[in-house]
Amino acid sequence: MKRRIGQDEDEIDRMLELLPEILPSAGFTSSVMNAIRLEAAAPPPIMFPWKRALPGLVAGAFALALVVVVTVVAVRSSQPITASSLSFSSFMSTFRVQERLEGAASWTFLALVVTFVSVKLSMRLAASQA
Amino acid sequence: MSASEDQSDVERVLLGDIAAFEGIVHRWQGPLINLAYRFCQDRGRAEELAQEAFLRCYRALRQWRRDAAFSTWLFALATNLYRTELRRIPPRTQSLDDIAEPADARVFDEGLEDRDRDLVVRRALVALPGKYREVLILFYFHDMDVAAAALSLGLPEGTIKARLFRGREILRSKLPQMLAAPRLKEA
Repeated sequence: MKRRIGQDEDEIDRMLELLPEILPSAGFTSSVMNAIRLEAAAPPPIMFPWKRALPGLVAGAFALALVVVVTVVAVRSSQPITASSLSFSSFMSTFRVQERLEGAASWTFLALVVTFVSVKLSMRLAASQA
Repeated sequence: MSASEDQSDVERVLLGDIAAFEGIVHRWQGPLINLAYRFCQDRGRAEELAQEAFLRCYRALRQWRRDAAFSTWLFALATNLYRTELRRIPPRTQSLDDIAEPADARVFDEGLEDRDRDLVVRRALVALPGKYREVLILFYFHDMDVAAAALSLGLPEGTIKARLFRGREILRSKLPQMLAAPRLKEA
């Protein structure tokens, strides 16, 4: 019986359904089980030391909050916001002449130092325990 | 394949008896390798993909929720892996658009050995655009069960049906040319 593919709706179904199957090779199961055993024997991933990192994280968050507060205070104490003062250059020129700039910079520097020290301390503690 | 055997083996593996995973491998190695083989048409790569699927299954065993059959979960995991891997490194195929029109539209089952025809059909399947190929592979792999294919692919049944229709249309238009090609070479 001759059938044309366009004439028989089921022909593609028949051909695709009857695709030959392959058998797993002889060593497949043992290969998989070896991989599974290796996986099981591997040490669990090292958890992030949240407890040790907490002081550093808190200090970092505090430093960041400090920078934000100092910046907001410095900007608010400068000229009232007008359309002209919204441009970046005018903002910077205003900012530069403010007396509070020195204070803000000092606080920012201090915050960065505290953050750096906290992170270093956390890393050293974590390394010594590993 | 017994669902209770799967469940029992999974429980044992989760309790630390790694050897129990061998039962899962024994039961599902054939289906997983053949599913991979339909995707890539390469026996060696199919076994590599199936091994990786079993490894991921082992790692994710705790994530299997008992509301779905283990086989459904396993096929979805394997399908997802095969699709990702074959997008990363596609199988060697000839584009369906590169296949020349034959001089006459011959009947496709005349004079071709079954083995040759299987080969041509498999090549045509692998050469389909990905979204149609995946649906056709899963549909026929699951004995033409749209719901099972939808679960494996994580797609709505309507999408499966639409892609199935379009995929078949492409195959229907290209298969006669592909099946005629070997005989034209011989002539």
